[in-house]
Amino acid sequence: MRLLLRQALLLSVKDTRLFFRDRFALGFALLFPILFIVAFSLALGDIGPEDEQLRMAVATEEEGGFSRQVIDALTATDATGVDEWDPQDAEQAVREGSLPGYVLFPADFTQRMFGGGSTVVRITDSEGGEQTVRLTGEDSGARILVVTADGDPETEAILGGLARSIAGRIGTLSLAARGVIELEGFTALDLARLGELGAAPPSIVFTTEQVGDVEPFNASNFTLPGYLTMFVFFAAALGAEAIARERQTQTLERLLANGVRRSSIVAGKMLASLYRGFLQLAFLWVLGIFAFSIDFGESPAAVIVVSVFMAVASSAFGVMLAALVHTVKSASSAAVLASLTLAPLGGCWWPLFITPDWMQALGRLTPHGWANDAFNKLMLFGAEGQDVLVNMLALALFAAGFLVIAVARFRTVSAN
Amino acid sequence: MSASPSANMGCMDEFLVATGLTKSFDGVQVVESVSFTVHAKEIFGLLGPNGAGKTTTIRMLSTVLGPDEGDVTVDGHSVGRESDAVRRLIGVCPQELALYPELSATDNLVFFGRMAGLSGKEAKERAADVLERVGLTERAKDAVRKYSGGMKRRVNIAIALMSRPRLLFLDEPTVGIDPQSRNHIFDTVLALRDEGMSVLYTTHYMEEADRLCDRIGVMDAGRIIALGTPTELKAQIGDPGATTLEEVFLSLTGRSLRD
Repeated sequence: MRLLLRQALLLSVKDTRLFFRDRFALGFALLFPILFIVAFSLALGDIGPEDEQLRMAVATEEEGGFSRQVIDALTATDATGVDEWDPQDAEQAVREGSLPGYVLFPADFTQRMFGGGSTVVRITDSEGGEQTVRLTGEDSGARILVVTADGDPETEAILGGLARSIAGRIGTLSLAARGVIELEGFTALDLARLGELGAAPPSIVFTTEQVGDVEPFNASNFTLPGYLTMFVFFAAALGAEAIARERQTQTLERLLANGVRRSSIVAGKMLASLYRGFLQLAFLWVLGIFAFSIDFGESPAAVIVVSVFMAVASSAFGVMLAALVHTVKSASSAAVLASLTLAPLGGCWWPLFITPDWMQALGRLTPHGWANDAFNKLMLFGAEGQDVLVNMLALALFAAGFLVIAVARFRTVSAN
Repeated sequence: MSASPSANMGCMDEFLVATGLTKSFDGVQVVESVSFTVHAKEIFGLLGPNGAGKTTTIRMLSTVLGPDEGDVTVDGHSVGRESDAVRRLIGVCPQELALYPELSATDNLVFFGRMAGLSGKEAKERAADVLERVGLTERAKDAVRKYSGGMKRRVNIAIALMSRPRLLFLDEPTVGIDPQSRNHIFDTVLALRDEGMSVLYTTHYMEEADRLCDRIGVMDAGRIIALGTPTELKAQIGDPGATTLEEVFLSLTGRSLRD
């Protein structure tokens, strides 16, 4: 066992040295993914603002009052994307599923606001969820807290769009409401004094609190893990070419005749691939954090653990590929074919959750799919580590399966 | 100056004994009942046209491939049952340049030395010795990809010498190199034999075999079809003094193209 480990380590260190001397391999593993991540982050970056222009329904139970001023301001231009609904109609539409959700100002909204107390705005969504927005003038001023509803990304985008519209419009309404609403710790008296001095009133603080699974959209939170997964597997698959070349040039044969165990060769090749995978992960994750402002979500440790499982699976995949092919040429072809097939199937190019059910099911047949599903859950939907345990298990099973095939079929001698 | 082949004919200790080696791939028999011996301190030439089964035979002798039938012993150790013991006795220089062109000669030698079980210090010291023997000390730190074909061939041989083997397999070690490098390799091989090493040597160059080998086995279609000293083989078809080994080879294996 000790001999096996020693030989595997020596072999992996040698392979890593060769990797660092191969500029093409280094560029392919580390720089090439950046091109894709930058291009697709820019391309997908416009999706968010477009979603925010989707129509959103608001309704009020008040006759006139402050909610009327807010709604009139919101519906004044098409740009805000807000439609006023009758409260009963809106509720019926949501129940029927024809409306994703709406914002309801309650009947006592103005009374409570003017009374310096607190009030709520109800946001109802078609999933049956009902969230409340508390508007208060009691403590730190007129803080508007929009609680986004639990549900699909589209609903979240609509509510986000409304929230921004409210923020913009409230700013212009604040003068009209001056003396009624407390702003950021300023009392009505303070505001009056500020008005006399000709100063602009302080802006209203607008806070979005997420209670569901949807985070504000950052395209890199999807594109980076997607292309990272693709290129970790791609680089590992191309490693099969190097192994096939060693078989062809008889270096593996020479190692075997030199007293090196076949299992040491398999382990050494897998370790070397694993080092490369870890290097890619470290480089691209760090780049993602600093250059693309990606967010690891609620459980960064889980993102790392999933990454490790993914790297192990990719290493085993590369060695398995080397075991299955006969020549250098077939290794290259198999690596490219496998990578360009598995990447889109596994959600590296677009999120699997926007694809039809049958495609999502196909994605589950690939390690890429399980890795991307885990990254999406963690980085887009605020999942915790325990939510992706199944994904980790699936990646571990893929790794074990690939390794079993690799060990069973690994050949050191060329067929020539 | 190294001794000539005939000077070593008195030594008859059997160091490698191959008995009835047979190997098939996908139902095609590529080696059939091959038997021969390599004596201690002898250069044994294995000649044959392309596809004769020489490389497969070397693979079986060097523990890389298991025979379907037959056995090989090296210094009394069975290749099948005591492969670890055999591997400690042998050095293999494959037909291909089985090395890493991006690494220096020293790094290549140290790597293979360490894989064979040497410590880092031992491997470095031995690499320096071996590189001196093959005349590459001055270029030891250059990447092998910058070497000429002959220099690469010498590194290929040097790697096989790192474990200080008692039996060296050289599979066509002089393919595609200039006469100077070829002569250097001849001198090295003869010197190794004179120091007590046994060598199993395959080549397509008959004058090379004539010059180096103490005994020769001629293979064709997976079988040994002739075995003896160069003089004995020449005597089979005519006057040994007037016959070349190439004429013997063509007489035994025919003139039809094999590739």
